[in-house]
Amino acid sequence: MTRKPKIRELLDESACTHSPTKKNACNAPTPGATTGGCAFEGSQISLFPYADAAHLVHGPMTCIGASWETRLTHTSWPNRDLTQMGFTTGITTNDVVFGGEEKLRSAIDFIVERYAPEAVFVYSTCVTAMIGDDIDMVCKQAAEAHGIPMVPVHAPGFVGSKNLGSRLAGEAVLTHLVGTAEPETSTPFDINLIGEYNVTGDMWQYTPLLEELGIRVLSTLSGDGRVANIRTAHRAKLNVIVCAKSLVSLTRKMQDRYGIPFISVSFYGKRDTSASILAIAEALGDAELVARTKKLIAREEARLEEQLAPYKEVFAGKKAVLNTGGNKSWSIASALQDLDIEVVATSVKKATEADKEKAREYLGEAGILMTNPGQEQAKVIDQTGADLLLAGGRSLFTAIKKKIAFADVNQEKKKSYGGYAGLLNLAEDLKNALQNPVFKNVARRAPWEK
Amino acid sequence: MGEVMRKPDKPLQVNPFRLTQPMGAALAFLGIDRCMPLMHGGMGCTSFTKVFLTRHFCEPIAIQTTAVTDVTAVLDGGDGSIVEAVQNITKKVAPSLIGLHSTGLTETKGDDLGGVATQVDYPLVYVHSTDYEGGLESGWGKTTKALIEQLVASTDATRPDKAVLLPHVSLTPIEVEKLKDFIAQFGFEVHALPDLSTSLDGHLGEKQSALSSGGITVEAVRDLADAGLVLSIGDSMQPSAAALLKKNPAMRHLHLNHVQGLAATDELVAALLEVSGREEPPASIDRWRKRLQDAMLDSHFSLGQTRILLVGEPDFLAGASQLLSEAGGKVTLALATVDSPQLDRIPADKVMVGDLEDAEALQGNYDLIVGNCHTEALAHRFGKGLVLRGYPSWEVVGNQLKDDLLYEGGAYFLCEVANAAEHMRAAEH
Repeated sequence: MTRKPKIRELLDESACTHSPTKKNACNAPTPGATTGGCAFEGSQISLFPYADAAHLVHGPMTCIGASWETRLTHTSWPNRDLTQMGFTTGITTNDVVFGGEEKLRSAIDFIVERYAPEAVFVYSTCVTAMIGDDIDMVCKQAAEAHGIPMVPVHAPGFVGSKNLGSRLAGEAVLTHLVGTAEPETSTPFDINLIGEYNVTGDMWQYTPLLEELGIRVLSTLSGDGRVANIRTAHRAKLNVIVCAKSLVSLTRKMQDRYGIPFISVSFYGKRDTSASILAIAEALGDAELVARTKKLIAREEARLEEQLAPYKEVFAGKKAVLNTGGNKSWSIASALQDLDIEVVATSVKKATEADKEKAREYLGEAGILMTNPGQEQAKVIDQTGADLLLAGGRSLFTAIKKKIAFADVNQEKKKSYGGYAGLLNLAEDLKNALQNPVFKNVARRAPWEK
Repeated sequence: MGEVMRKPDKPLQVNPFRLTQPMGAALAFLGIDRCMPLMHGGMGCTSFTKVFLTRHFCEPIAIQTTAVTDVTAVLDGGDGSIVEAVQNITKKVAPSLIGLHSTGLTETKGDDLGGVATQVDYPLVYVHSTDYEGGLESGWGKTTKALIEQLVASTDATRPDKAVLLPHVSLTPIEVEKLKDFIAQFGFEVHALPDLSTSLDGHLGEKQSALSSGGITVEAVRDLADAGLVLSIGDSMQPSAAALLKKNPAMRHLHLNHVQGLAATDELVAALLEVSGREEPPASIDRWRKRLQDAMLDSHFSLGQTRILLVGEPDFLAGASQLLSEAGGKVTLALATVDSPQLDRIPADKVMVGDLEDAEALQGNYDLIVGNCHTEALAHRFGKGLVLRGYPSWEVVGNQLKDDLLYEGGAYFLCEVANAAEHMRAAEH
């Protein structure tokens, strides 16, 4: 039990910028007024992209039955992509009464024999945590028997949010994998990418540029990740957190333990991509690398601008209202501005103080920060003469009523919007939205309506 | 009928497609107008269900959670979180009904939903729907039964022109509508319970309500017991029909294991003619029967050389296998989510309860798959034809508009499967 992470400690992360203002109570979800996933889902998001490992969910069917094969996290792993498979002990009433450890042990043996994974991650869930199955012991014995890492992940859904689950996943990796193997070679520019899951291949939009600069991605947590590499992560010179505040605990501990500094970056839009690549180079502290990086950024930005030119003609004078949550409230705004779309309003309903500040910074003094977007957005569209509403599906009818274009920001995206090349994908999608007559056409009145 | 394997012999499920009782319960409550399904469990149980259904229907899904935490799991018998959840929901919206259903987490705790329900001063129906027993079908069926037991008023008066339809979970919204319309053509006023045909049929509504956006009204549910005829479709709906008959023993009950294919539809028509005292069905039904006969002949050549894997809920398998085999389609393997008496009625070489790893191991036995979107990877991997049916289907739009029932839908389905088989064979060369 001593190896289990301490949840209270994880909730009080000193490296979090919002830590001083955040109330502890924020962590407890309100019955009847809660949306969002659980800790198990967070751990799944953070670890499943390891396609060379099997991910065995020890629990009833809901946990993985409804959620396997849902995320487009691409991998270059040449063998079978285990991320896109679902493994579960699928416990039954019998297991609840008599305990599920024996079943879990057999399930691990079955997986190792049939799928030969590089490791097995074993996830506890609410029910198996409640009946008290000792997955640490089962994992330890299985690791000895099979000679590969077995990683117990203690993030049963009911301990908290997705965010906490990601932290717990980070803890599991830190405890059981990081520092358990040495890399074959080292370079002065070795980095770990933390919290980059390579959804729709986002990571591959910028890793070739890093490679060109001589920056080596030693390991990732966990986009296109390999278990063998994350075991050597303690030899990196820098931890780069990509759009994931939840894993700041992990990087802070790696700083304490291994002296690895960390930075937080985002690869959404042109300005953020450039700033992030430069930040990595600067953090690695090599003047020549920084100079090379600046050159590369100039080259890439020029190339991108050339490709964006025809889009910018379409977007000239276009105004957008953005209704989404969290860091999207400014990161999407920034990308839109990179496309010369004027962002006249954004939602700050669910945003933290820091997110609000950033939103103000990006939108300028004239920008409208909506605190109750559901009610405000229709009026804001009228006032500003906006041409485009970017929001979740529930807002679709607002756009139709106002006869303006709509783009669903929450829809599962099929192609990458990350890095420089991703901005072109975003531009293409938004151009198509603006030019699509469907929003005006469906707003037609029926002949029998007055 | 071939071999039936009811019990998986593995310590785990690999690439599982069994869905759970809480999800079936939530779906059933979404067939009640202005309902708020309230799942009693961790917030993840609800979140996974919401995302799952949102992607399947391309519609916002109304559902809330009691958000049980590790602390309340130990300290609260359910009273606290359920009562608080109802208060928080009704602060913002005014549902006609709260649909309380449990999960594996709260069943392990052993919460007494019936006891808590008496503490809630708001219209509420509860159902025990643990996810470590049963599946989507039984969750839907149990909820329908609970709605009947807890809402329907007993009576001994019957209206001979009123019919209640109890559809199993695998019928799409448009199939429920087609079935209602079909029965209505014999002079009945038809009420479906649950009724997804007006809630998750994918209609553009003026307002995106936070509640279910259609379905049978609570008032109509209360008044169901005066119907002269009860029609249950699918084995999973038998207990619901029995519960309804308890409310009024004078009702006439007609049960069909499915309504797919020529023979089953003929059986339904014969019964409706008899009950309604008519000699002949409306002309359009006669016309559609002829079209189905023609579609059977047009598709038989392709289907007759196609070995098919059917994947889904037992009530779905019973109907689809019958329809396909009537036109000579060879169902070599029917893979069921859970055990059911239906498995003995499926015309297939082999019927088994299992997972998609089992389907993969037997991939030499079939050429074409009819199943959910998790079978797509299997189809690509081994070059099989594919017709998407069942939950979930995330990669295509229009799932709620698919119609495979009765004469009309049967004709569409046979053509679609035959075309997919030909498309597959063309791709092989």
